[in-house]
Amino acid sequence: MTATTSTGRRRGRGITTGWSALGFISPAVLVVAALLYAPFLYTIFYSFTDYDGLTSPKWVALDNFKRFLDDPALTTSVRNTLFWVVGTTVVPVAIGLLIALLSFGIKGGTLLRLPFMLPYALSGAGLGVIWGFILQSDGAANDLLHLLHLPGADISFLQQSPYNTIAMIVAMTWQQSGVNALLFLVGLQSIPTPPLEAARLDGASGFRMFRHITWPLLAPLTTVVIGLSLVASLKTFDIVWVTTQGGPGRSSETLAVTMYRDAFVSSDYGYGSAVALVLTLVTGAVTVAYLRFQIRGQEKLR
Amino acid sequence: MKESRLGWVARRGTLAVLGLIWLIPVYLLLVNAFKPTESYDAEKIWTPDPNFGLFANLREAWEAVGLGESIASTALYSVTGPALAVVIGAMAGYAIVVLRLRAGFWWFLLLFGGTVFPSQMLLIPLFLGYSWADLYDRRFGLVLIYTAVSIPLAAFVMRNFFTGVAYEMFEAARVEGASTWLIFRKIYFPLALPALGAVFILEFAFIWNDLLFGLTLSQSDPVRPVMTTLSALSSAYAGSSVPVLLAAGLVMSLPTVAVFLAAQRMFARGLALGQF
Repeated sequence: MTATTSTGRRRGRGITTGWSALGFISPAVLVVAALLYAPFLYTIFYSFTDYDGLTSPKWVALDNFKRFLDDPALTTSVRNTLFWVVGTTVVPVAIGLLIALLSFGIKGGTLLRLPFMLPYALSGAGLGVIWGFILQSDGAANDLLHLLHLPGADISFLQQSPYNTIAMIVAMTWQQSGVNALLFLVGLQSIPTPPLEAARLDGASGFRMFRHITWPLLAPLTTVVIGLSLVASLKTFDIVWVTTQGGPGRSSETLAVTMYRDAFVSSDYGYGSAVALVLTLVTGAVTVAYLRFQIRGQEKLR
Repeated sequence: MKESRLGWVARRGTLAVLGLIWLIPVYLLLVNAFKPTESYDAEKIWTPDPNFGLFANLREAWEAVGLGESIASTALYSVTGPALAVVIGAMAGYAIVVLRLRAGFWWFLLLFGGTVFPSQMLLIPLFLGYSWADLYDRRFGLVLIYTAVSIPLAAFVMRNFFTGVAYEMFEAARVEGASTWLIFRKIYFPLALPALGAVFILEFAFIWNDLLFGLTLSQSDPVRPVMTTLSALSSAYAGSSVPVLLAAGLVMSLPTVAVFLAAQRMFARGLALGQF
């Protein structure tokens, strides 16, 4: 190859790669635009309309959002979603941290952690099937409470509100604790040894060590774990749909279930879109607020 | 530092007791999924039955809701969806990082932004659009949406991955006269295979476990994915017995449980980067 052709190619390259770069990115952009962004924008549009899927959408401005105020199903659904948010960001995270701390660095830790890891791979639907069975009236949960002489042995967990939501949060705790433990373990492994050694030399141990050294060093990871649970909990759908279908009545619905029911059971696409939009706005607002709060907290620490 | 004997016992003891509590649902699942339907008794859920009924239970589920075809369809979705997505995502990463696409970062944000909102924002227009375009209750329609939702993570991982590859490699290949497509196919794509494999596995598990898109975009037994089938089987009016339902749930969970146990750490890392 001669020098001239080589530089000729090089000169041409800017133009050629420019076009071929567009060619390489276009499949991704087209698919994402058509199947994610277009529906997203349509949902925003539908939320301001009255639409049953047969006649064309009728513009009703904010009527769907005004309907929220006197929709008892939605009030229940908001309350349940709050339960889910609080329940699954506190308990599974705490248990996950406990498992991680107890099993970190001990021989056979992987084996001792296995029982907590197994449930994580289950789908929301699988979880619903197993716990629907455990929580049925006079089922395994009642048997156990009875055996241990604990209160609640006679409650039909899935039939009464708010026990149905609380019982499903317990099921979710069973599933999520393991993966939270795994995330915390990754964090514990990344803690450098010098501060730990120094603290040990100063005579710190046990809880004081955790409180003053490990916990602050784990803070970035705790932010991630709680953030993940927060976002996931706001969108809770699968387990509720399979365990109770939001019932009895509409007493165990979450916002995601309410949205699904309004849209696909009642064919009220305008109202369903409005619920979806509110769910999205709430998720976005909570995530941003949480991250800002966390970042401020960490700056204070410094 | 040496741990005190008491600490040693307390740590392992607490873990073991908690672990046993955690295994109770697994025990109940196994014991009752293996029971023949005839010997199931709501009063005796804690005791195993000497008769082996798992296969009979599965056969019943097979006939009641077409479990076999549903599993085959789900395998198709959870393999082709991520496979297409990792190729398309790798191409996008290649365009942004290696070909230095103008305003590449904004294109990347556009792609990644596709995952930040809840899927509830997609369902209604997807359902209506699919009905209009004759994609509703079609395998192709489901492959399409599963590919779309898998692309952002693939593009994200590939953008990071290609940033770490020496640019000289591309220049050298260009000087030799190779086309951009040839360089992608022969050098960058093979180089990215391990990272793509990780993305593939994560997304395989995600799609296998999906309920929402299946519920919204399909209805017939052969097309709908397994979790939707399981949901149908568990609804009160399906009339399936407890052992049948549990056996179906157990078998449908096996693929992701196996994959997850084999790749635990990767999942933890993938989780942390996938949702934020």
